[in-house]
Parts: sequence; structure tokens; C-alpha cells
Amino acid sequence: MPQLAIDNLSATYGKLAVLKSVSLAVEKGEIIGLIGPSGSGKSTLLRVLVGLLKPTAGTIAIDGRPVDFGKAAEVRAVRDRLAIVFQQFNLFQNMTVLENVTIAPVKIKKRAKGEVREEAKELLRKVGLGEKLNAYPDELSGGQQQRVAIARALALKPEILLLDEVTASLDPELVSEVLDTIRLLAAEGMTMLIVSHEMGFVRELSSRVVFMADGRIVETGTPGEVFETPQETRTREFVSKILRH
Amino acid sequence: MNYTLQYGQVLPYLGYFAGGALLSLQIAFLSFCGGLVIGTGFASVTAFGPRPLRVLVKVYVTAFTNTPQLVQIYFLYFALPDAGILLSSYQAVLIGMTLNAGAYLTEIQRAGFLSRRQTEMEAAEVLGFSRWQQIRYVILPHIAKVLFPPLANQYILMTLGTSMAAVFGVEELTGRAFNVNAETFRSVEIFSLVAVFYVVITFAATLALALIGRLAFRARMRIL
Repeated sequence: MPQLAIDNLSATYGKLAVLKSVSLAVEKGEIIGLIGPSGSGKSTLLRVLVGLLKPTAGTIAIDGRPVDFGKAAEVRAVRDRLAIVFQQFNLFQNMTVLENVTIAPVKIKKRAKGEVREEAKELLRKVGLGEKLNAYPDELSGGQQQRVAIARALALKPEILLLDEVTASLDPELVSEVLDTIRLLAAEGMTMLIVSHEMGFVRELSSRVVFMADGRIVETGTPGEVFETPQETRTREFVSKILRH
Repeated sequence: MNYTLQYGQVLPYLGYFAGGALLSLQIAFLSFCGGLVIGTGFASVTAFGPRPLRVLVKVYVTAFTNTPQLVQIYFLYFALPDAGILLSSYQAVLIGMTLNAGAYLTEIQRAGFLSRRQTEMEAAEVLGFSRWQQIRYVILPHIAKVLFPPLANQYILMTLGTSMAAVFGVEELTGRAFNVNAETFRSVEIFSLVAVFYVVITFAATLALALIGRLAFRARMRIL
């Protein structure tokens, strides 16, 4: 049974159809690289998965159990298991690095503060920010902020991590520190859906690459298949454009 | 200039002036608090309320921010008795300053309420925050930080504005200066001394507010 089963999922922004019958099954420990031109629905798919946008049709099942996104309790249950990291970090500006990471486990999960703080410090050390516990987000570089955001997502011990173009708004020299952090998680067997324009990275890390265009999944395959021998014309065009750079 | 400064003649009034300064602070503080309550309510209306209410608030704000405060208080003091509402000069000043502050504080806070950060709220939502928790942990601290400096600024302006009460015979700092002036005619000494009093109370307030702002909200505020 796949850990995450997306079946015929559709979603709209107002009248605009942004996801059209998307189906994808993700096994535990898989790393899915979602690629495609801007506006192809990659980020939207992640937003639907964490309940920020209600699907208009189709189902999402986690460990075989379909989720009813109309029920607040079920959406909460999904958010317990899936975590998302955004392109713009979205850290809480009024909290220190440590508070950003501990607030959800302490205030939402009602876990013991001391224990959460120790775990958070460990997580922050892991992403290389053990020295910045009491800094505020506006005192950090973009790369550092993004690593805090990753630590914050991990603090809730998600089973699946969604990364939405997490390096897209970083200066080039800061990209590698964030990618290193993600590699670390990949090595630990975390299931991940990665939306990224860093093709080299997607190719290196993904167990499967999904190419999306115009709200649909056009092609799915191993990185070798999608990048070397794409079957569909749209994929070929996209890959050849990307690789020319 | 042949004038000889004689501060000796006004020094006996130091305590009297200090009492006036306390009354000035009291007027400023009470009308600021009252204005803050009005401003918070009305700013919520303008930011989130239905259109008819927004228009009413807009009328109030426009009326009070486009007429002199002195005229507003005169109106309360001399026009309301016709309607059977008789106010003491202290009451008229307090109510007038409160209504005036309410208008300005509505404008200041409206801007703050609209600056809440959508992206942070989204992050909070996916971390499992309820609507109320988003307000409590994300929106309010942010608004407090944004609003604290302009609110502190308004408070200082209002402290100075209390001198207007003297016109209506309220014996706050400036009112007491008028009294002593009428007795001693040592105008230069009296008003320079009173100016020092104002500097001391506003600077003390500025310092205290900047300190609170820095510690509580990480707000960057200029002291001098």
C-alpha cells in the first residue's frame, strides 16, 4: 500500500483549473522530484496536500485511508503527518529561532517544554544552526532562515516532507547549504515531495521524477528516464530547454 | 537686554508646578487610554467591518482629524450645555482629547491591522494552529510590534497637547503657569521653567516607552 495515494485530484483557483485529474502513488521512503514550467500545478499540488487549498474532485489517501478535507479534524490529522517548507521560509518574525521550532510542539501538541527544547536544539545543530538559537529571523541569511524553516517542519516529526521551491528565493551561494540539509534527510529515509528548479539536485536525489505541465502529470519515471529519454514531447521540450542552460 | 532673571521669585512655586505636571500627565494618560479603546474598536471596524459602519467611522475620523482640537473642545464646552449636558472644564478637555485621540489612533491602528502577514499565518495554519492560536501567537505580536512606535509617538504629542486645557481654566502645568504669571509677572522665568518640566516629563516617557518597546516588541525606536 502506498504511503500517499493521490487519485484523480483536481483543484481550482476561482474559475481557473490548476490541477486536472492528478494521480500519483508515493511509497514510504520515496523521494519524488516534481518538475515542470511555472504555473504547471506543482506547488498547488503541495498546497492541496496540506489542506491550504480544497480539492474540487478526487481523493488523497494516507496509508490507505482517504482524507475528507471538509472536516477540520481530518485536515489536522493530515497536518500531523505531512509538513511543508515554503519558498519564502515564512518564519515567525517575532520569535527567536528556537521559539520558531518549539512553538508548535509545545503550544499545539502540548508536549513538555524541556524535552521539546532539547529536541529542537538537536534539530538545529543538525541543520547547522546550533549557534543561532536566540537569533531572530531578520538577523539570519536566507539560507539560514530556510534551514530554520526545515527544522521547524521536522519538529513535528512528520512522516512526509513537502518542499516547495525551497531554494528558489535564495542567493546562489546559499543554495548548497540548504541542499546539504535536504540530502541529510534523504539519507535518513524521509519520504519527500520536492518541487524544485534545481535540476541537478532533483536528478541526484529523486527516486522518481514527475513532470507536470498545465495542471496535469505528463510523465513519470526514474531521473534517468525523464532526463535522458523523455517519452512525451512536452517533457522533451522542457528538458532540452533546461539542459541548455 | 536689561531684563534681570530672577528665578528666586518663582522657585517657591516648584511644588505647585509639579502638581500641575502630574495633572497634565493624568489628562494625557486618561485620554490616551480612552482614545486607544475607541481607536482599537474603530480600527477593527475599518479593517474588517461591514461597509456602512466603515463609512460612519470614516466620517468621525475625518471630522476630528481635520478640525483644530481647540475648536472641538470649545464645541463640547459651550455647545453641549444647550443640549442639557453641562461639563466642567476638566471633563470637556478630557472628553475632547479622548475623542480627538480616538480619531488619530483609529487611523494609526488601521494601518497596523492591515499589515498582518498572510504567509506567516499560512505557516502557522499548516503547523496546526487554530484560528485563535494564529491570532494569539502570530498576528497580535506582529501588530503590537508595528504599532508600538507610532502609538508611543502619539502619546508624547498628546502630553504636550494637554497645555490646551489651560485655555479652559484647568489648572494643569500650563494653567498653573498662567496663575503664577498673573501673580508675579515673571513670565520668562515661569515659562522657561515650565518648558523644562515638559521636557522632563516627555523625555522620561520617551525613554520608558523606548525601553518597553525594545524589551517587549523588539521595536527599534529613536530616543533623541
